[in-house]
Amino acid sequence: MFLKRMWLFLKRKRWWVVALCFAVTFVGLAIFLASFSMRSSDGGGRTEFMLPRLVNPDGVALPEGYRIEALAEGLTFPSGVTFDDQGRVYVIEAGYSYGEKWTTPRLLRIEGDGSTTVIATGDNPPWNGVDFADGAFFVAEGGQKSGGRIIRIDMDGKITPLVEGLPSLGDHHTNGPVIGTDGKLYFGQGTATNSGVVGTDNAKFGWLKRHPHFHDVPGQDVTLTGENFTTDNPLTDDSDVKAETGAFLPFGTPSTSGQVISGKVPCNGAIMRVPIAGGDIELVAWGLRNPFGLAFSPDGQLYVMNNSYDVRGSRPVFGSGDLLWKIEEGKWYGWPDFHGHRALADDDQYKAPGKPQPRFLLANHPGTPPKPAAVLGVHASAVGMDFSRIESFGHVGEVFIAQFGDMAPDAGKVLAPVGFNVVRVNVETGVVEVFAVNNGKKFGPASKVGGGGLERPLDAKFNPDGSALYIVDFGVMTIGDKPEPREKTGVIWRITRERRTEAAR
Amino acid sequence: MNRFGLILAILFAAMATTAGCGSARRDEPSAGPLAIQDPQIALGQRVYMTSCHQCHPSGMAGLGPAINNKPLPGFMIKMQTRAGLGAMPGFSSSELSHEELDAIVAYLKALRKHG
Repeated sequence: MFLKRMWLFLKRKRWWVVALCFAVTFVGLAIFLASFSMRSSDGGGRTEFMLPRLVNPDGVALPEGYRIEALAEGLTFPSGVTFDDQGRVYVIEAGYSYGEKWTTPRLLRIEGDGSTTVIATGDNPPWNGVDFADGAFFVAEGGQKSGGRIIRIDMDGKITPLVEGLPSLGDHHTNGPVIGTDGKLYFGQGTATNSGVVGTDNAKFGWLKRHPHFHDVPGQDVTLTGENFTTDNPLTDDSDVKAETGAFLPFGTPSTSGQVISGKVPCNGAIMRVPIAGGDIELVAWGLRNPFGLAFSPDGQLYVMNNSYDVRGSRPVFGSGDLLWKIEEGKWYGWPDFHGHRALADDDQYKAPGKPQPRFLLANHPGTPPKPAAVLGVHASAVGMDFSRIESFGHVGEVFIAQFGDMAPDAGKVLAPVGFNVVRVNVETGVVEVFAVNNGKKFGPASKVGGGGLERPLDAKFNPDGSALYIVDFGVMTIGDKPEPREKTGVIWRITRERRTEAAR
Repeated sequence: MNRFGLILAILFAAMATTAGCGSARRDEPSAGPLAIQDPQIALGQRVYMTSCHQCHPSGMAGLGPAINNKPLPGFMIKMQTRAGLGAMPGFSSSELSHEELDAIVAYLKALRKHG
């Protein structure tokens, strides 16, 4: 009856009332949608938390036919998982977390009852990733104190460095590693800075005062535009003293137009490789930012999960989702001037509200970056990953990616939590589907939404026969004035498939 | 304005202001798989992933607000996408063709009904 009356009313062509209705609607929506600047950030880390962490597999939602269980609890900053020749499970604890929390990096075996056996300990954290080959473990040692390394750990715990002196003293560290069928170890090296320029945000990270001369190093020679950035100077107590800094240079060193910065290997923002028996480092690809996850697809193609820009520092970059890359040898992937194939300087998408549009730092670009295989959420922190290989688990050829979750507002504002789950990605179509996520109407880590499920997934790896997906859950990290990681809240989850459904063929 | 016109105006305003209500959880673990048979919706999903997912992950809020639970007609989705609004950039026809934009609308409508 009401709808009939509405129709008769409109038929009488009360056009001005109709126009008024649409205008009110549009204004209401405009106010709602334009309110990014007016709304406060509500990331997943903005919550109160008291130990102990509740762990409950029922708090995690999975697609029909899959099951999750907690294998081990009470770990401190776990960051990677691997398996030995007998299929036994090993985990590394990083030994360092953002928020400048220092513990001891360790390699642990997870026993059948969930207890742990210490295989090795280190003193140059963080330990960011682990793989197993040739009867030994290979660990990416991030080296916040004294530089990055790739280390070999034998079954008896003996540590031997394979590679030393990696430029890993800044924001992002030595990552991976993954061993290819060519017998070479591939690893990622993250950048020192957010977008090429050392600034006051790096002092907040903690490393600028430790290493005041550290800066990014490119993989090949680059020519600068001469863009410089003036900031406060946290290296002096005099608040009136400012610093002017250019790209790929130490804090307080300005650049000039046409200045050439020499490239070298090892470098920042790159994928490199070395024989597992030791030898020279080779540059595989560069122009990345934080290539944290590395994995080979079933057909032998290397993929890399690269964390994109934050809205911080001297050159903040807005709206850049994390990128999954199919790696081609010798290719440049765009950092610090591109996001995927899009130039930061040419697209207003990358201009943060109230901040200037990013301008080019490089006068000439070493090629045009390709299109990524997939685009994940802005600030999702998509990290460790692995490909499904067997029909019985399902989704063969798709990559399962752990998403650590946003660190808002430090990395940039978000209207709701981003990440805090595991997704699967079809690398041919770029379609991203949620695979493991906390139950309930609200979305976020369990410390925020309750339920005892996932906190911050950091690695995802299949066991050697491909029948189970192991998820390394770093644990609780709330965000106050700085990141607040909690020791002894890390969990290892295992996901298996109980029965087949049509959807997962 | 007569009483009926006033009611209509209030209804539209209510639709606008309550646009944030209703859960946006449409992911497979929460709502089951979204079966796509229509080629236009399949195209819309792929283009959505390239252009929209990073700010509206799986249609939910992230950097941007949730858009899989909003009662917006297709023409308004297209208007917003082309023009941009606030922090959202606009997408020109060279970035998103008319066909691709129509496909995104079809995908969002399918997602809205899912779960």
